[in-house]
Amino acid sequence: MKKPVAAARSQPKPGAKKLPASPQGKIHPVVIYPFRQPGSYSDLEGLYEMVARLNKEKDKYARPITVIDRKTTAALEGNRTFHDFRKHTIARHSDILDAWCVDTCQMWYSGLGMAFDRGKPDDVYWLIPGDFNYGSATGKEVLSRLHDLPEICMELQQDICVGEITTDHAHPKELIDSYGTFALLYNWFPTEAQEIRGYTERPRSEFFAVRHGFLREMLRQRWYAYEQTMVMLLQAVFAEKHIARFEVGRICDLPEGRESLASVMQQVERTERVLKTLWRERHQPMSGWVEQYRGLEAQSDQVRRTALITLQSLLG
Amino acid sequence: MRMNSYGAKPVNLRAINFICNAPQAQSVSLVGDFNQWNAYSHPMKQQPDQAWFITVELKHGHHRYAFLVDGVLTLDPRGMGITRNDQNERVSLIPVS
Repeated sequence: MKKPVAAARSQPKPGAKKLPASPQGKIHPVVIYPFRQPGSYSDLEGLYEMVARLNKEKDKYARPITVIDRKTTAALEGNRTFHDFRKHTIARHSDILDAWCVDTCQMWYSGLGMAFDRGKPDDVYWLIPGDFNYGSATGKEVLSRLHDLPEICMELQQDICVGEITTDHAHPKELIDSYGTFALLYNWFPTEAQEIRGYTERPRSEFFAVRHGFLREMLRQRWYAYEQTMVMLLQAVFAEKHIARFEVGRICDLPEGRESLASVMQQVERTERVLKTLWRERHQPMSGWVEQYRGLEAQSDQVRRTALITLQSLLG
Repeated sequence: MRMNSYGAKPVNLRAINFICNAPQAQSVSLVGDFNQWNAYSHPMKQQPDQAWFITVELKHGHHRYAFLVDGVLTLDPRGMGITRNDQNERVSLIPVS
């Protein structure tokens, strides 16, 4: 066997950012309670068994936070099962943040913001979406892997670690990202889109962990009501942050089949809306940006229409 | 359970198998944080099925690694994650529990 060809691999390239050693901080779990209460509590029971374990590991984890949209609570007024679950399970193992939120990403903003206010510079914040099938066998396996996300941020000094779920190729999430999200990303931010795709096929993932410093930067910028993971990935690429992606397994968000064509269209349209706004914010200080914007907008219109025709054929 | 280099505190190590499917390669080695990305410390052996193989004992935690296939840094398609190393090259991630 020939010796490996290795040209001075141990010498860092000039300008390469060496990961600094860091004292151990705490991990702040932030659970996003499902907007629509599922009929069965088995998935939430599976999730809160994990939250209970985290709550006991006080050296490693800060007290978990659960964000509940007040519309969810209002819709469940008089529901004894929900109130018992809230009192005996959620409140026991986590601090509850009741908030009025326009969309899920505002729940993220409220929860991560509250955790950030309690945090310190070496801490890591871990977002845990509540509306997944954690009660199933595969869901339990995913639950057992989620802790890797904040640990990767902590151990390897990553600014953001995105969890990637595996789905069937025909799953609406995969189709939306293939034909909608990435097509639009390549139109508005082609260089950054290429970089993001080098890490993940799921730029809208709801599973992620983020370091204190990067979260501070994100909280101080415009926080979008939707598609915030994609925005965070773009901001991470703009600022040359350390990005990691980790597979968390195969899982479905609940309820199954919620991706109606109308919902799919809305997701593509709002992705485009976010990208347009972000592009304008970054480019409006530059002269001649309006002309460039109009060109990209015309292309974007075509990309969105094509994506919707494709998705209608595949899902309609 | 092994002793660390000072022979004092025990260090938990777990044997991890790495497989690289590169049948045409002349040489393949495993590089990562655990060997300071040294191309020579973990040469892989080609198996009868032409895949390259090595078992390495790693401590608990998350490790960055890649295959050096004929000198070219190559991601592990079976890897559980992706990040960048200190030289800003894309590399794979493995959790060891």
